[in-house]
Amino acid sequence: MAEPVINEGPATAPAPSVSPTRVWDLPTRLVHWSFVIGVAFSWWTAETARMEWHRWGGYALLGVVLFRLYWGFVGGSTARFGNFVRGPRAIGSYLRGAWQATPGHNPLGALSVLALLGLLLLQVVLGLFAVDVDGIESGPLSLYVSFDTGRACAEWHETVFSVLQALILLHIVAVLYYLLFKRQNLIGTMVTGKRVFDAEMAPMTPASTVKLLVGVVLAAALTYAVSQAFQF
Amino acid sequence: MSRQRSATTTLQRRISVIAIAAAAAAVISVAAYAATPVEIQKQRHEHYEQLGDAFKTVRDNSKGTPDYAALDKALAVIQKATENQQQWFPKGTGPEAGKTRALPEIWSKPDDFTAAQKLFTDKVGPLAAAVKARDVDAIGKAFREVGGSCKNCHDSFRAPE
Repeated sequence: MAEPVINEGPATAPAPSVSPTRVWDLPTRLVHWSFVIGVAFSWWTAETARMEWHRWGGYALLGVVLFRLYWGFVGGSTARFGNFVRGPRAIGSYLRGAWQATPGHNPLGALSVLALLGLLLLQVVLGLFAVDVDGIESGPLSLYVSFDTGRACAEWHETVFSVLQALILLHIVAVLYYLLFKRQNLIGTMVTGKRVFDAEMAPMTPASTVKLLVGVVLAAALTYAVSQAFQF
Repeated sequence: MSRQRSATTTLQRRISVIAIAAAAAAVISVAAYAATPVEIQKQRHEHYEQLGDAFKTVRDNSKGTPDYAALDKALAVIQKATENQQQWFPKGTGPEAGKTRALPEIWSKPDDFTAAQKLFTDKVGPLAAAVKARDVDAIGKAFREVGGSCKNCHDSFRAPE
């Protein structure tokens, strides 16, 4: 009987005076969508045995992961680990619904970020040392390990990918849950970098372009060195 | 002096024990080879693992400054495989005998299979020449050709993982 209130629609929308708040800087968003493309590409090239392309996909992902780790220390405020990784108490209060939404990851989402990033790094590193069953195809760093170790890395490379797939699925389910049940479009925010909050909020603080360039050069240089097995 | 002599005798005795053990192991493994199709499959698998190990060595040493001693050893394994590979697939050691990625086509299309094996042998020739000539660039090039011959056979005669 009291239900019709729901149909008020526009009246419950935020007041027009509340403008979108900046949540994610451009590098963080580019990193996110690069992961989507990179993982999909690597999956496809592995399934279709395009190993030369698979190595390129791995290098690209390695570069992006390294940059994201760097950005986690010097990047925009919402990208920094020190700002969004929180303890169990914060996670508990978030789960009880007692968490005040602010621009950036919530305490539970922070765990997802750490897990996904950590697994991605592990996966790429395993690939660098992996050797195929015939000893014909291999990651660039496999020359530092034996055939048997390289084979073990290849098997772990497969196992970790399954775990990564499961976590990505969980991530997608969580994002859809927010979209459908909590009426919060996280995907749009990851595209535009902005979100409309119920009230005016202090936006994220971006990092300087110099820091961005330093990070890109560092990540690219290290990735290149790895791809050459540190032999020049 | 006498201590030294007895040490030598002990060493000799040890060597002969090892020799007998090795001979016994060889006899047992030959016996096992003749024994069951599953044993043959297992041995075949081990042959290919050794081959994979050797290929990795060649790949690792196909650029920069190669370790030629390692390359010579790996090449010996590969050349031995070209000589022996025809005997690794006796009839009755396919999927009907146990878990293997060897496809029935190996035995239903023997001419094609022999041709695929011959291609491998043919491609190893230039690799051996390149290793002998200590020519890194040629080793890399020849190795890719050998890799192609492996893939050629695997595409038709080995089940995907």
